[in-house]
Amino acid sequence: MELNINGKIHTVDVEEGMPLLWVLRDELNMTGTKYGCGVASCGSCTVMLDGIATRTCTLPASVAEGKAITTIEGVSPDGELSDVQLAWIEHQVPQCGYCQSGMIVAAEALLNEIPNPTDEDINQRITNICRCGTYNRIRAAIHTAAKRRGDKTNLAD
Amino acid sequence: MADSNKKKRGKWTRRAFIGVGALAGVGLVVGVGGNIFLTRNARKYSGKGFGEGDSINAWVHISPDNLISLAMPRAEMGQGVSTSLPMLIAEELEVPMSNIRLVTPQPEPAYANTFLLTQEPRNIYSSLSFMEKIAHFLPLVATGGSTSIPDAYDLLRSMGASAREMLIRAAAAKWGVSAGDCYAENAQVINKKSGEKVNYGAIANEAAQIKLDELPALKSKKDWKLLGKPIQRLDIPEKIDGSAEFGLDVRLDGMLYGAMRHATYHDGAITAIPNQAEIEARQGVKKVVMLPDGRGAVVVADNTWRAKNAALALKLEETGNNTLSSEELDAQAEDVIANKIIAAPKDEGNATKVLDESEGILEVTYDVPYLAHACMEPINCTVLVKGDKAEIWAGHQGSSLMADGVVAVTGLDYENVTVHEKYLGGGFGRRAEIDMILNAAHVAKEMEGTPIQLVYTREEDIRHEMYRPAVKSKFRAKLNNGGIEAWEHKVALQSVGFSSINRIKPQFAEPPEKDLSTPEGAAELPYRMENMKFALGQIEAPIQVGNWRSVGSSQNGFFTESFIDECAHASNMDPYEFRRNLIDDPRFKNVLDKVAEISNWKQNPGENRFRGIALCKSFGSIVGQVAELTRISEKEFSIDKYYCVIDCGRVVNPDTVEAQMQSGIIFGLSAALYGEITFKDGEVEQYNFPQYEMVRMNVAPTVVVHIMDVDEYPGGVGEPATPPAAPALTNAIFAATGDRVRSLPLKNHGYTFV
Repeated sequence: MELNINGKIHTVDVEEGMPLLWVLRDELNMTGTKYGCGVASCGSCTVMLDGIATRTCTLPASVAEGKAITTIEGVSPDGELSDVQLAWIEHQVPQCGYCQSGMIVAAEALLNEIPNPTDEDINQRITNICRCGTYNRIRAAIHTAAKRRGDKTNLAD
Repeated sequence: MADSNKKKRGKWTRRAFIGVGALAGVGLVVGVGGNIFLTRNARKYSGKGFGEGDSINAWVHISPDNLISLAMPRAEMGQGVSTSLPMLIAEELEVPMSNIRLVTPQPEPAYANTFLLTQEPRNIYSSLSFMEKIAHFLPLVATGGSTSIPDAYDLLRSMGASAREMLIRAAAAKWGVSAGDCYAENAQVINKKSGEKVNYGAIANEAAQIKLDELPALKSKKDWKLLGKPIQRLDIPEKIDGSAEFGLDVRLDGMLYGAMRHATYHDGAITAIPNQAEIEARQGVKKVVMLPDGRGAVVVADNTWRAKNAALALKLEETGNNTLSSEELDAQAEDVIANKIIAAPKDEGNATKVLDESEGILEVTYDVPYLAHACMEPINCTVLVKGDKAEIWAGHQGSSLMADGVVAVTGLDYENVTVHEKYLGGGFGRRAEIDMILNAAHVAKEMEGTPIQLVYTREEDIRHEMYRPAVKSKFRAKLNNGGIEAWEHKVALQSVGFSSINRIKPQFAEPPEKDLSTPEGAAELPYRMENMKFALGQIEAPIQVGNWRSVGSSQNGFFTESFIDECAHASNMDPYEFRRNLIDDPRFKNVLDKVAEISNWKQNPGENRFRGIALCKSFGSIVGQVAELTRISEKEFSIDKYYCVIDCGRVVNPDTVEAQMQSGIIFGLSAALYGEITFKDGEVEQYNFPQYEMVRMNVAPTVVVHIMDVDEYPGGVGEPATPPAAPALTNAIFAATGDRVRSLPLKNHGYTFV
């Protein structure tokens, strides 16, 4: 099957049912997307499918065919950090870091849809597990990233 | 206090320090100072990892092209150690954090964590103690028990200072001036008189020849540029773009993936796999490997998904106890407390007699369940065995344990095992266990020449763990006008020390009655009591128990800080005032006062808002917390805020301390709200996050942290925030409802949180 990952077409020969997570990790060696639970509960495996945050550990890769897949490696494709990533540094969010790929991708998707999310929006949309408990800093970083993006938009206006 | 060692050990014996000169030609060999470092074992290191052809020493290496490399032998599992340890060296070495490169050395004696064995700060001015020698001999290169900073605090500053001094002397000699005319700054030595500057790299070779005969004075606190400041973590850039490599991210040429299937019953064994041939014929599957004693089977395939599906499809014939149940364990615990107490680590006065002879005493029972660590990164380990050599890749809390494990399975020489320590996707004590190492090494030995990445699925991870033990706890107390006349506390549990050390380092295993973790947070309390007893008994069960973030204090903090709250209530006193009246130690009192202050304890929190307070000391640090809740309906609460005050002595990186306070509270809350591992028909009933739930964004409180400014030797920060988290919450629930929650998790009492 053909998968469009971070703007590049990859051809893989796997069973129809193989989840996208394992195609990314084991077939394409793109290990930024993490295995956490395998039952779409923890969100470590989150990527964007056509901009929508999607858990890939239960999603057959064949379902993602024809969609634009954005993984953590594609969040800053030109090497320039995204507003979300910059906010993640400013607030020193990660601890062990294992869940952070999924968190950052989920935050990017949230801000694409809701440019200025409220705390309640964040509660509703960021449902990933962070075992280190970095939630306070994730929340603060999302607000900072929203502001950073808003400032840019205003400048562009 | 200029320096903790000075105060603690009296005379500052600089003469004890004798620098070590060059070991080889190029580069700087930093002085390994003090008798401690002259001990043969302490100086044993190969220098692997610093770069070929370079002359190196244990902790600091500077190449002629000015590349400054620091050793980082501790495991980064989120606690920030890969920033805080380099800060200790960089402060004295006078190099900016942006200028350093970290190197993970092989687990060699020079990097032993002596504090893990001694629970005492190193005395860098005297020879090694007996236990320190053992730590070097093993060597024990490991990370845990919130010991990294207490272990390294003096050692690494002196490493940086001696290097700096050698560089200054080399520059002074080059310029023909006295060392007193030079100083170091920003990775350069500067001639005060001429203003000339020289990069460290340019004089590294010369500096390596310098011999110091005394320890350079460590900088005084007022001159610190890095320590005590919020320094950005060095690991974060890799952790925001997916490039950080965890154990599970290791990818090697020809590597195959192994999926673990444990024997179902915890004391059982797999005796046969009737459908092995059918499984081995599946797409991508290469082999099914039976582990020794039938403890498990591993399906090796060309892809994790194929391997784990095949492992799930294995049909097993098994032995083992298929009747074990939580009810049976609970009944046993009742019996142990009533009839089988084996030790009383603390027995001051006559608590039992006073209580036996008194009327109107408080008498209550508390319970906590078994808990899984549930590290975000499922347990895994990668091993390659090839001829007389082996390599191992994992995020693990003991790089020496990684090598030991491979040696134990393969019989290879320790020196022939190359360890690759990766980032840990959480540790919490689980990654100090060696099961994944032994299992991966066994498969790699069976499939020599092929790198094997063994992974436990989340289900295998949760169901086959080394759990925090379930603990039953019985209190009796006699109160006396706002005081405690007698306090008796008995617990029944499986000994963590006995169980875990028998697995990891059996030569150090002590019987359960001598387990030092059982009394943590229970035997030594800050409160004045006339008669005080803490006693324990041992539950016999075929369940492995292990170190779970904050260990004994994880249960004892809940027990003691809940019961002291009960004592306050029974005395008709405010829980803060009651505690305060019974505390003599000013450090405890200051923490308690500060958390009351920042939480506005004395003011009414407002309608439907309630507070609970808790105070615990663990791992050398004192933490006070106030939980603030809003009651939404009868048993529905929002956990709005935690106020958290810590006295951890001298602070290395305050931003990390804050992060660890937030982290430890969330960890404690996940257990308090949801966490329990239960047994039925010999099996663990929970197997993934839907059954073993975690606090998520919508439930997580805002955590407000205050760090006390205390000029004492540093304590740990990775664990101490966890013990008070549960009792602060349940004490607040009591304030709201009058319901004293004496067992966890709260979900079993009908409480919900939003």
